Amino acid sequence: MSHARGSFGRQLRSDLRILFGRPRTIALLAGLAAVPLLLAIVLFVAQNSGMAGQGPGFIGRVTGNGLFLVIASLFLCLPFLLPLTIGITAGDALAGEAQTGTLRYLLTLPVSRTRLLASKALTSLAFAVAAVFLIATVALASGGAFFGLTDMTLLSGSTVGLGSGMARMFGVAAYVALSLTGLVAVGLFFSTLTEVPVGAMAGTTIVAVVSSVLDTLPQLAAIHPYLLTHHWFDFAEFLRIEVNWSVLSSGMIVQLGWVAIFATLAWGRFTTADVTS
Amino acid sequence: MIAPAIRTEGLTKRFRSGQVAVDGIDLVVPRGAVYGFLGPNGSGKTTTIRMLLGLVRPTAGAAWLLDEQMPKAGGSVLPRVGALVEGPAFHPYLSGRANLVRLDSCDSTADPKTSRSRIDTSLDRVGLTAAAAKPYRQYSLGMKQRLGLAAALLRPRELLVLDEPTNGLDPQGTREVRHLIRELSAEGTTVLVSSHLLSEIEQVCTHIGIMGRGKLLAQAERQSLIADDDIRIVVTTTPDHVSDAAAVLTSLGLDATVDSVELQAQLGDTPPERVSAALVHAGVDLVGLDVRRRSLEQLFVELTGEGFDVAR
Amino acid sequence: MTSTAHSRRSFLRSPWVVPIAVTSAVAVSLISAPLFASGDANDLPDITAEQLMNQVLDAEPTAMSGTVVHTARLGLPDMLFTEATGADPISLLGGSSTIRVWTDGEQRSRAALLGTMSEYSVVTDGAEMWTYSSSDDEAVHYSVSDADLARLEAMSDEARAEALKRQGELPTPQEAATEALTKVEEFSTVRVDAQSTVAGREVYQLIVTPDTDETLVKRVVLSIDGETKVPLRVQTWSTQDDTAPAVEVSFTDVDFSMPAESVFDFKAPASATEREVVVPVPEKDGTMAGSDVQHEMPVVTGTGWGTVVEFKDLDIAALLAKDPASMTGTTDRIIGSEEAQKMLEEFVPEHSAGMGLELGALYDQLTTEVPEGRLLSTTLLSILATDDGRVLVGAVPAETLRTMA
Repeated sequence: MSHARGSFGRQLRSDLRILFGRPRTIALLAGLAAVPLLLAIVLFVAQNSGMAGQGPGFIGRVTGNGLFLVIASLFLCLPFLLPLTIGITAGDALAGEAQTGTLRYLLTLPVSRTRLLASKALTSLAFAVAAVFLIATVALASGGAFFGLTDMTLLSGSTVGLGSGMARMFGVAAYVALSLTGLVAVGLFFSTLTEVPVGAMAGTTIVAVVSSVLDTLPQLAAIHPYLLTHHWFDFAEFLRIEVNWSVLSSGMIVQLGWVAIFATLAWGRFTTADVTS
Repeated sequence: MIAPAIRTEGLTKRFRSGQVAVDGIDLVVPRGAVYGFLGPNGSGKTTTIRMLLGLVRPTAGAAWLLDEQMPKAGGSVLPRVGALVEGPAFHPYLSGRANLVRLDSCDSTADPKTSRSRIDTSLDRVGLTAAAAKPYRQYSLGMKQRLGLAAALLRPRELLVLDEPTNGLDPQGTREVRHLIRELSAEGTTVLVSSHLLSEIEQVCTHIGIMGRGKLLAQAERQSLIADDDIRIVVTTTPDHVSDAAAVLTSLGLDATVDSVELQAQLGDTPPERVSAALVHAGVDLVGLDVRRRSLEQLFVELTGEGFDVAR
Repeated sequence: MTSTAHSRRSFLRSPWVVPIAVTSAVAVSLISAPLFASGDANDLPDITAEQLMNQVLDAEPTAMSGTVVHTARLGLPDMLFTEATGADPISLLGGSSTIRVWTDGEQRSRAALLGTMSEYSVVTDGAEMWTYSSSDDEAVHYSVSDADLARLEAMSDEARAEALKRQGELPTPQEAATEALTKVEEFSTVRVDAQSTVAGREVYQLIVTPDTDETLVKRVVLSIDGETKVPLRVQTWSTQDDTAPAVEVSFTDVDFSMPAESVFDFKAPASATEREVVVPVPEKDGTMAGSDVQHEMPVVTGTGWGTVVEFKDLDIAALLAKDPASMTGTTDRIIGSEEAQKMLEEFVPEHSAGMGLELGALYDQLTTEVPEGRLLSTTLLSILATDDGRVLVGAVPAETLRTMA
């Protein structure tokens, strides 16, 4: 088979256009972008009322420094909203094509199944990265607009300059985005199992939720370090006086393990499955 | 001898449920043929087509497209094969044209430089140029079918596999599809066209294969299937002359069946004019005399035990 | 035969081989990682228990940094502590806590108790100390008065270190080890166990077993870095639980280079509420200079591991209601058992605001009603608060305390 040069790039661009041109994707992203904006408005309105200072400590800090809105927004979105939207996009990646029937036409073009899977994986990952950075960017903009951006007080009590603060926020967003790769792989695997996208979407979201529930059970402490969601909130490392890179890299290694297992499972399934939709 | 465009040997598909959808069929579609792949809904046509195209893995047997074995050689064979499988399927919120652009950019062997002109040509060929900018979800069933054909025709093809291409089309649309098939065939393209509606494609086919309950029940050139020796004579008379007429037919060596005033018999080598002369000679009142060749439809009913358009 | 050979061959060619291989590889590395970490292919020179103990106690303090995991299995209800949000020393009583430590080996150090999105930092510079809680955004500055400072200057290094020992510090293996070893010879048997690995370093293991069976402490296992003689892990095993240590303080990673200067600097953030606390330096007799409350001296019964301390005239209800800092002065450095000492300190946090838990409710949930009063029983320590205002504390079974009351 002679592939034209750059044909994978063309396929990938087409898949990206399909995903990001889709009204549902735009609605999901708009919903996620609304979180920091609403949070900023609520905190702005409440800051002089009796409600001020409630909630986790760092949320109260937003009113003093808009930079913390990035942390607060990601903290709010990470347990459920991000897994949900990633479940929707990754779970839909192949199951959606199967449901509309477009999968059989892609495969008879032909598109090799491995190549299609790779393109869909990168596309789903692109959504995760876009979602996280959209939240961070909107948070930075609305945090700056409502509360101003100033030097940042770390959890350790030290204060760093605005530039370093911004760099740390970028680190937080990058870590959160990479932390979601395991879930993207899980979603993609579920997506190869069914022609009903809703099933794959729900399955993916449930995996994330179950993982965080298991993470709270002390009886299962032995398996906690290997859970998909266990290291998600380690992005707090960027708010400490010395960023411990080994903590961050162990989070990444766990994600790598999940990606390796579920990406190959998805590949094994997708390259052998009968397409009957 | 040129290898057939499609060949299968003992092609079988047993689904995990245990249901045998296709049961050891040996399909042969010669190059240049227009092969009518007939059978009631659920007879295994679509599963066979899916196996030919590498979408479904055969449980047993093998299939060759353009002399290369599927699904192994899919990457090199399928670019030369256009397909319409189980109805058209496109992204509903994209326009017709955008859907074709999407497909063409996923085709790793297609030349992106000619993409635009090829898309225009194929839209024009199926008469969708005017509606190309409309979102697919606003298309009528007929327009969707046309867009499916346009997708199959995005590139010059050696083989077209069209599964139920006339489904949902009005009589005018059906005529247009038949015209398109004739045109493509004239250009040298081999066409496998499946249908559960015999009359819609019968006229364009050079070859016919009939599926029933997962088996290939008959497969031959169209002419040989219907130019059988199977000619019947039907004699209609008045109630008083039924027994006389029967006696005449028996005297001619014909085995007649009687249904009220109608008598039917297999003609065999007996010329029909001898029968009419003998009846007149015996003074039988002839209300009607008809010589019937067996139609494809009758053949089908005999082979499958059911009429067309019967879902199991 | 041929058919099974054929199906095996076709399986090996199927794509499912890849995920199965990858999953096994991940599982194997997951299982073997801890195995490698505790591999015992060590080649440290042999050493006697006596030599090792002396080397540990004599070792020059060294600059280092690392991560310490503190795990407590005291038999207290777990859920109590997961309710406490944020980094708070009370979380040390149950489950695992992570503490990051830095020290220059001399005057300055920093310890930080890590919470999910919070941190409790203790920064020490000689006689000065800051604590900072990110949850409350509160910085507390502990210092000594000028008079006390002058008195400290006159002291020997050892006495000064002793005098500066305070509440609010976070447990590290060094502290735990030093405490366990100081009184070791009088009341315990010490032996050297097989060498092992902790935080990727080769370590000696020292096992301290109490000579008495009156105590809840079964044994203390110290893992000593072979090179620097810094204790990297201390496990305290209870007689009540053979499966896992009741308290374990262990480095998970350690680095013996000088930490960055910035780590030891602390300036209260602009937004934080600041509190100044002038800490009285205890006189030799244990009373407080400048302390307005004078307590009766506690009664000490027994020796070594089996020591029980009895405090008189303590109003528990009042202590729970207000800042209990006044109590910490009296308990300081008196209790015989070092672990008991530690426990008590942890029960008496110096900042009651923002605890995440109501102290009174916590007290009610942790203690049980007994005829003598209210009893707190853990795998390492028992505390009995009698109805007539006495409190008995010891690393002994609860029955011992009840008999004494």
